[in-house]
Amino acid sequence: MKSLTPLQLEHFLAHLAERYELRVPILLPDGTRTIGSPDDGPLALLGGAVPGKPTAAFFPQQETIFTAIHGRLSQAPPPPKPLFILGFTATDLECLRFIDRFFADGIRDDLYFRLRQGAVVAGISGYCGAKGTLLPPAAGNCDLELFLAGDTWLVIPYSGTGTELAKELPNAATPEEAELFKCSIPTVPDGGETLLQAASALLCADRVPDSFWEELGERCIACTGCNLACPTCTCFGVQDWRSSTGVERSRTWDSCQLDGFMREASGHNPLGSEALRSRRRIHHKLAADPRKWGEISCFRCGRCDAACPTGIGMMAVAADLVARFG
Amino acid sequence: MKRTLTVCPYCGTGCMFYLVSDNGRLIGVEASSTHPVSRGGLCVKGWNAFAFVHHPDRLTTPLIRKNGTLQAATWDEALELVVERLAQVQQRHGRDALMFASSAKATNEENYLLMKLARAVFQTNNIDHCARLCHSSTVTGLAETFGSGAMTNAISCIDETDVIFVIGSNTTEQHPLIGSRIMNAVRSGTRLLVADNRRIRLARHADLHLRHRNGSDVPLLCGMMQVIIAEGLADREFIATRTENYEALAESVAPWTPERSAAETGLEAADIIAAARLYAGAKRAMIFYSMGITQHSHGVDNVRCIASLAMLTGNIGRPGTGVNPLRGQNNVQGGCDMGALPDLYSGYQKVSEPLHRQRFAAAWGVPALPDTPGLPLTRAMDAASDGKLFAMFIMGENPLLSDPDQHHARKALENLELLVVQDIFLTETAALAHIVLPAACYAEKEGTFTNTERRVQRVRKAVEPPGEARSDQDIICAIAQRAGYDGMTYADASEVMDEIATLTPHYGGISYERLDPHGIPWPCPTPDHPGTPILHQQRFTRGQGHFSPVSHRLPQEQPDADYPLVLTTGRTYFHWHTGTMTRRTHLLDREEPGSFLELHPDDATRLSIRHRERLLVISRRGSIQTEARVTSMVIPGVVFMPFHFAEGAANRLTNNVLDPESSIPEFKVCAVRLEKLP
Repeated sequence: MKSLTPLQLEHFLAHLAERYELRVPILLPDGTRTIGSPDDGPLALLGGAVPGKPTAAFFPQQETIFTAIHGRLSQAPPPPKPLFILGFTATDLECLRFIDRFFADGIRDDLYFRLRQGAVVAGISGYCGAKGTLLPPAAGNCDLELFLAGDTWLVIPYSGTGTELAKELPNAATPEEAELFKCSIPTVPDGGETLLQAASALLCADRVPDSFWEELGERCIACTGCNLACPTCTCFGVQDWRSSTGVERSRTWDSCQLDGFMREASGHNPLGSEALRSRRRIHHKLAADPRKWGEISCFRCGRCDAACPTGIGMMAVAADLVARFG
Repeated sequence: MKRTLTVCPYCGTGCMFYLVSDNGRLIGVEASSTHPVSRGGLCVKGWNAFAFVHHPDRLTTPLIRKNGTLQAATWDEALELVVERLAQVQQRHGRDALMFASSAKATNEENYLLMKLARAVFQTNNIDHCARLCHSSTVTGLAETFGSGAMTNAISCIDETDVIFVIGSNTTEQHPLIGSRIMNAVRSGTRLLVADNRRIRLARHADLHLRHRNGSDVPLLCGMMQVIIAEGLADREFIATRTENYEALAESVAPWTPERSAAETGLEAADIIAAARLYAGAKRAMIFYSMGITQHSHGVDNVRCIASLAMLTGNIGRPGTGVNPLRGQNNVQGGCDMGALPDLYSGYQKVSEPLHRQRFAAAWGVPALPDTPGLPLTRAMDAASDGKLFAMFIMGENPLLSDPDQHHARKALENLELLVVQDIFLTETAALAHIVLPAACYAEKEGTFTNTERRVQRVRKAVEPPGEARSDQDIICAIAQRAGYDGMTYADASEVMDEIATLTPHYGGISYERLDPHGIPWPCPTPDHPGTPILHQQRFTRGQGHFSPVSHRLPQEQPDADYPLVLTTGRTYFHWHTGTMTRRTHLLDREEPGSFLELHPDDATRLSIRHRERLLVISRRGSIQTEARVTSMVIPGVVFMPFHFAEGAANRLTNNVLDPESSIPEFKVCAVRLEKLP
């Protein structure tokens, strides 16, 4: 474990930029934070998780699959330098771990791994949450983790690459700093996790009546923000743009909250109402994914709750569901 | 990877977001977590607002019609020809033989410049834009009653009101981030009254949903006012101190007993009484309305009634109150503010007023400006159809699909000696043009849009325009220069805003430096003024609020034995107007891939029409094929169609009858019959 002053951290990042395409939490002009290039805004490590989904670094909202111009097929080359991404919280890293599994399962998604392969992912934790609150350490799921303890950033490596990078740093963490980090690692599930498990149990036991979903459906305006903000949502649609010279095929984030998502060519739609689509959104994360992947695929990042204009994000729905049927 | 803070190009809510680009290409949208309207969210169109920008159908070069077909040309050729042919038309037929159609999709600066081009360079007041089709009734009605034809309150007032009355607005679909805020308020205890005969989403959350007959808003609102006065619910102090002409209003609504109102509206008298008590009983009540009020041959009268209802109960000039017309397009408020109107310069200064003319003429360096108001857009189409108007310069509008009675619109456009269209795609209208000028879209230029709550916000360039496309500002200034006018050279869009500020009192304190990050609501008369979220607080813009009594007129075309159903038209959540952008956005196009007609199950049964069956819709003006959507969203006897789709164009059926004062068409009511396809 190493330690860095804020100035040393900036030097460390500048040094990394020689070898990596750097992405770090930055402040945008209106105060919104995002993970972006250090050239696009001042470093903004404090404030907790960024509002946009961090997994967009590997799975952007739209990307070209291939172009075929005058009969010649071409695909985007891998980036000239691998990515180094700092800014995933512990829950974000759980999300990344989950979609790494998803995109590698069966037919490996080469577009995703074009960016993901070789990328270095750095977690962020410590007393850098909203208003200085503690962001729990990830203690894994990344190459290395930066933990803010007072004025010092502790660097905790996990992977081989993380260890190599940390080796370059001069100062070892003190035993007190190491202890602070260790003590900050959660040992019991937090309230959010317990809530989702309770909600999941209710869904799996089929104890939630249709009327609940109908009520929820009435509140969904189909903005799709819940899906588009969710780091574990991986659905996309494929489209072709044809021109006189050829075709460009691309993929764009899709949403299970849209009628067309499951509509069949006949016009029949097994998810033909907002109620059914809202049910699917919650069921997928809390009931279907535990069966398929062995775990709930919502890691409580809260982005869908923040993006939903009508207050029916995952945590809000789970709380309502448990309060009424638990 | 770059993120550019800008304003959504769709509705007038004015959400800001970041366009995400990589290597000069847009790859997504990120919400702004600090914007006071969007607050970290967006609607489905906003989330997908990047997706049409690089579409291969974008216009990339000027086109000139040669031997009947549009052929690529250079900018030199195209601009020279535009100026030469416009001058020719004026020489042959007089200076008012041409019409400029500006655009509520373009920036304030571009609307101002097209207005200046028309008036200073071509010396005509024939300039207008699509506000004529949506809120011209509001501009006329609220100017007369309040002195200002804009939303009186801020969107954030929704959070602090007790009762919300939504009439003629499908808010969750057409202004989703406002509609959802209303839904949240209702969950927090605000009571909701909805008057709209479609069973819109808000109606499902309402305390009271009134499904009154199409075109019966005046009887409904007068009925409510009658109850309020009769039951002593009026705000006597507000009426006495802030308004004039109350006695005339009271006299005019006195005959509108709940029973008479019920007979005209098709509602129960008890519901009219309940609605009146609900609205008037609140300490703070807001009214929201939109096209359901304005798009009638008596649209201005509808607006007058709304204004009277608010004044009668003192619900104006305070937080959580107000008359709030929701402006449809991203910059329709700005288009009006900038004077892209036939009778007004920027800041609603009348062209008929000599002092205003002299001021603008002096600022623009021209000896004189024309003094008679020009033609409203809808009247200009009539004039073209009648062979009395000879050229149109259309920037960013598609009247062939958006205007009433498509047969009439086509005849008008085809009659022209010269049609110039400046747009981002080859729209149905552009396909008829003699000259087409390729324009930059919102993501490719700098400027400002003004949202529905009068918030002037910065639009920023994220990527380069395709091919040789240029910003509307560049094109307009180039035309002015070639026409021999040297008063339209600007280093950038901010210089245009500086000029606007010197000539437009309520934009007087606005400059680009002040607009970061989230804009300023006008009036903002001086550089140190913070902006005005709530209008009419101490006094109305016109002084005293004016009660304007109205008389009831039915929609011009009533259902009869030959055409037994009422057709009302509107938009869907997933598409924008004539679909030029949204139908080229994969996800949005997939959601609503084609034309449809909503039909009540009772009517469907009576006519033996099945859900999703193709059918023929026929009015006195034409017929179209579309698909039936059998739903209780509509009431029996009424059918609804969106107007987005070139195939199955609803405006082939609509009626080109205009409000006599605002010249808005009666899009909301015409008579049709349905036939099964053979």
